[in-house]
Amino acid sequence: MTLQTTRSPLFLSLAITILLAVPTIALPAPQKGAKPERAAKSAVVSAMEQELERSLAALRTADPPAYFINYTVTEQQRAEVQGSNGALLSSQETRTRWLETSVRVGGYELDNTRKVGGRDAGYQASFGTAVPLDDDVPVLRRAIWSETDRQYRGAAEALVKIQTGKEVKVETAEGRAPDFSREQPQIWIGPTAQFQLDRRPWEEKVRIYTRAFHNSPAILNSIVSFNALARNQYQASSEGTRLQFGDLKYRLELFIQGKAPDGMDINRYANFDWIDPADAPSDKAVFARAAELTKEMEALVAAPLVEPYAGPALLTGRAAAVFFHEVFGHRAEGHRQKDINEGQTFARKVGEEIFPTFLSVYDDPTRARSGSEVLLGHYRYDDEGVPAQRVTLVQSGVLKNFLMSRSPLIGFPQSNGHGRRQVGLPPVSRQGNLIVESQRAVSNAKLREMLIEEVKRQGKPFGLLIDDIAGGFTFTGRGAPQAFQINPLVVYRVYADGRPDELVRGVDIVGTPLVSLTKILATGDTPEVFNGYCGAESGSIPVAAVSPAILISEMEIQKKETSTDRPPILPPPGHDPVAERKAQ
Amino acid sequence: MSRARRLLGVASCALALLALPLSLAAQSQVAPSADNDQTLRAMRDEMRRSRDRLKLPSQDPPYYLEFRLLDIEQRSIVATFGALLNSTTSRNRFMDVNVRVGDYLLDSSNFISDEGFRGFIGSTGSVGIDGDYDSLRQDLWLATDQAYKESLDQFSRKRAYLMSLARPSDIPDFSRQQPVVLLDPKVAADWTSRDWETEARQVSAALRAFPELYASRVTYHLVHMTYYLLTSEGTEIRVTRSLAAIEAGLDTQADDGMRLHHFYSSYANRPAELPPASAVRKDLDRVGRELLALRASPLATDYVGPVLFEPAATGSLLAQMLGPSVSGARAPLAMGTVFDQIMDRMGGRSEWNGRLNTRVFPAGISLVGDPTQKDFQGQPLLGWFAVDDEGVRAQRVPLVDNGILKNLLMSRRPGADFQQSNGHGRGSYLSEPRAAMANVFFQSSDGKSKEELRKQFADLCRQANREWCVVIRQMDNPALAFQRQDDFSDVIGAVAGGAANGDRLPLLVYRVNVADGREELMRGATLTGMKLRSLRNIAGIGNDYRAFQYMQSQAPGFAGTALSAFGSAQGGVPTSVVAPSLLLEEVEVRGARGEPRRAPLLPAPPLN
Repeated sequence: MTLQTTRSPLFLSLAITILLAVPTIALPAPQKGAKPERAAKSAVVSAMEQELERSLAALRTADPPAYFINYTVTEQQRAEVQGSNGALLSSQETRTRWLETSVRVGGYELDNTRKVGGRDAGYQASFGTAVPLDDDVPVLRRAIWSETDRQYRGAAEALVKIQTGKEVKVETAEGRAPDFSREQPQIWIGPTAQFQLDRRPWEEKVRIYTRAFHNSPAILNSIVSFNALARNQYQASSEGTRLQFGDLKYRLELFIQGKAPDGMDINRYANFDWIDPADAPSDKAVFARAAELTKEMEALVAAPLVEPYAGPALLTGRAAAVFFHEVFGHRAEGHRQKDINEGQTFARKVGEEIFPTFLSVYDDPTRARSGSEVLLGHYRYDDEGVPAQRVTLVQSGVLKNFLMSRSPLIGFPQSNGHGRRQVGLPPVSRQGNLIVESQRAVSNAKLREMLIEEVKRQGKPFGLLIDDIAGGFTFTGRGAPQAFQINPLVVYRVYADGRPDELVRGVDIVGTPLVSLTKILATGDTPEVFNGYCGAESGSIPVAAVSPAILISEMEIQKKETSTDRPPILPPPGHDPVAERKAQ
Repeated sequence: MSRARRLLGVASCALALLALPLSLAAQSQVAPSADNDQTLRAMRDEMRRSRDRLKLPSQDPPYYLEFRLLDIEQRSIVATFGALLNSTTSRNRFMDVNVRVGDYLLDSSNFISDEGFRGFIGSTGSVGIDGDYDSLRQDLWLATDQAYKESLDQFSRKRAYLMSLARPSDIPDFSRQQPVVLLDPKVAADWTSRDWETEARQVSAALRAFPELYASRVTYHLVHMTYYLLTSEGTEIRVTRSLAAIEAGLDTQADDGMRLHHFYSSYANRPAELPPASAVRKDLDRVGRELLALRASPLATDYVGPVLFEPAATGSLLAQMLGPSVSGARAPLAMGTVFDQIMDRMGGRSEWNGRLNTRVFPAGISLVGDPTQKDFQGQPLLGWFAVDDEGVRAQRVPLVDNGILKNLLMSRRPGADFQQSNGHGRGSYLSEPRAAMANVFFQSSDGKSKEELRKQFADLCRQANREWCVVIRQMDNPALAFQRQDDFSDVIGAVAGGAANGDRLPLLVYRVNVADGREELMRGATLTGMKLRSLRNIAGIGNDYRAFQYMQSQAPGFAGTALSAFGSAQGGVPTSVVAPSLLLEEVEVRGARGEPRRAPLLPAPPLN
């Protein structure tokens, strides 16, 4: 690392970290093992620099003065091929460049983003604007100029509202934290990502994959989609940050819909994620997964409805990963400890035991893979230009830290590289790769035995095996009970008397986070990965969660709200006995 | 296949329009399928199965089933100041299934309620683009099932609501129409003849000569659609429609802070008919210069007196004023009056309700709705079609004859005065068709030459003792002028409140010195009180007819209101209003109002 405070262009092409005289907590070391690739600075960054210099000179002396300006251009190349029921639905490729501008007025302590009385003063005057795909510096500069002006006005108006608002004085201790953290400027001009893709083979694949689903009368609708996304981010800030980097992701998703005789909607879903085109799933692998989904669908349609129950439950690794993401991960997001509308479940529990002591949880966006599997929550820099960092949230059961964006908390003055957003929205602290580790790991077979023992110990007829979770929702707000609800898709009753497992349907898991997390008895020994897109106030972002299977002494399930829409009146056209008779 | 069927297939390829008796048996005999269209075959087979067997025990069966399918290819290119912003090509197919239960007199439609059936897939959706038989049948099967259940649910709510009414309406819910079979040959999209990306770059670069502009955007939008419609009554339609558009918007700010904008649009029925880049560049250069002239122009002051509308301005003004009034459809039954109130506020109240056979315009003036006209004075019209979106043949409809209101535009939704469709059921893509303008001709038996009308205008001004009078050359269209949704919403928010009072937005307003005819541009004017009623006092009308071509907005809150004139090629319905210059004796022009925004803190960076 080099100590450097100038923004001389000489240094811009070097992958260095500039240190300013600002106290910091542990600074991330440059990624070990990663080859620092350098690249030429794009015209986008040049345009941003030119406009940044001009804007700074004018807005720093305006009334109220701007103290921070940031420009981000996100370039996305996306190819998408979708098929349904044996036919191609759509196939297209798009390219976009989107400019986001952030102007902050006031100062790091109090600025235009301060929420007053739980409301934000409406500082985001624009979601941004499309900018040319052509590297036309003057046209780009014009767009940046116009957006800067718009955001400055919005910010200035918001600051006046905040300063004159009487509620600003009445604040909680959490609310007294500064509005924006001081961070090391980052300079990294890396290579950009793009792909050259012939969509025709994928068009044929989605036809063939969905045609396979067509053979089962239990499957009413099937959708398979293939996605390739190359995303490049360019960033320049008044603090000196200059970033240019890109990544590439491929995804294949299988989705089928069915209906039980009583009208309950049943969905099955599977996804494949890869980064290297050579890692694309083979037809064989996809057909195998499709066959599993079909089998599960056919079994679920015929499965009995569940009755409310509380007792021991075993969550497979992927189900446990979603469980941790929903029940714990969202509550470890720093900004939720600050907002007075939030339940602040863990706000004052740092240093306290919140999990059994054999469990540790960290979030590590610097990790690209778990075993051979890609982790979707991997990134190099977060959306505020802070390097991704591994953050230990829970160490041996004790809460240690929160996921931090540049919105500080008392006692947590710095970002730890978790400020994330969907393009167009202001970043807040979010999860990346949430990883659960256990010191009480047993083989999965042993864990199942432990489940049966626990069932017997509690005198229950059966326990639950939860194999797949679609996601769920969790109330972190103060206005609602601090509860979560999770929608498991594949749930078995595991009987104590040795009967075969029985698939059931219509299950919702309900609970309160502080209680549920302490009831984990043991875990399996094989980490499993859940890759998905997580939606919250800063939009939809790619995340991963990794966990071994877990055994919980008590889990409560309730009946799922069901649809009153009965199955279709006529049989499927391809499976219509009347029509077949006619045809003969 | 029988020889007769094959022959009919050939006949239909020659654009034969066959009206068939209601008998379904007769229909199935003549259905042409010569070109082996699997889409049509899947629609027919699923239609037959649903018609014969779709029924829930102890519930009403459907009395009417309708499958619509839209195969749409779109090419969209956006450029700004010579740089490409976006370029996309897409192909999609959408279906929409409509099922009615009850009967033509009283059915499940025309009812708005705040709750209803929520199925898991829905009666509309995206379907395969391969023309694959099996997948389309699967999709239609589910959509029909959902549509039927939706209608049963809606119908029971509607009947319950009707029980609470003292005197339910006796207007039928749906008109009976002759089934129509029209199977045009399949036509492939052809927009390869020109390099649209290069044209968009070249054309938008013309605005680079105006560094005063804050932003500008030029959009090329090419659409090629095949529309299928099958009904249980025996209607079978397959038609090809295409549209090509160039739209541009530009904006800036005057030195005093007033936000100013301008736009350009050019529409054609086929991409090849779009003007060449050189011509568009020339027009954009003119538009740019006009905007700069506006920027430097004085503020408009309040004015009440004679106003001369030039033909393009008359067309736009008529589009705004006629929009809410030309439809004769009944209003839906609503659970409350909120819907009506909103429509009223947006200028959606008809001024011609209950005015049939009374004078609405001065004698000598006629208004005709005529989608059968392909062109006007050699210029292709946008509102041409053989059948409307409900499969009813296009008809010439004399709306106003010699100043007397004689007819209204009708879809298959009946109204108090008329119960049959006259082929004006139109929608954007697969939205619900409603009675809307297609080609409209505003004509006078006594049109004056340009010179005569100018002289009459000057005389009127002198009689009113005015030193200067007002000429309006062009009306505004904020939907094209603005590039940002929030700016557009701001303007619409401001104008929508006054739409019911006849507030209209002119763009190019000149004051003309009565003594020497000198013209001076003014900025910030609005017109007020401009309702159809004000046209009863037309002082003079020209013979300089011009087709005003625009996209009728079908967006919620815009469709059927004065704001429907503010549409764009993105979802608008192609419409033409043919009108000449119009001289009105007294128009209220309101001068510039409002609180201008601060100028940007920094001057714009260089553009070259």
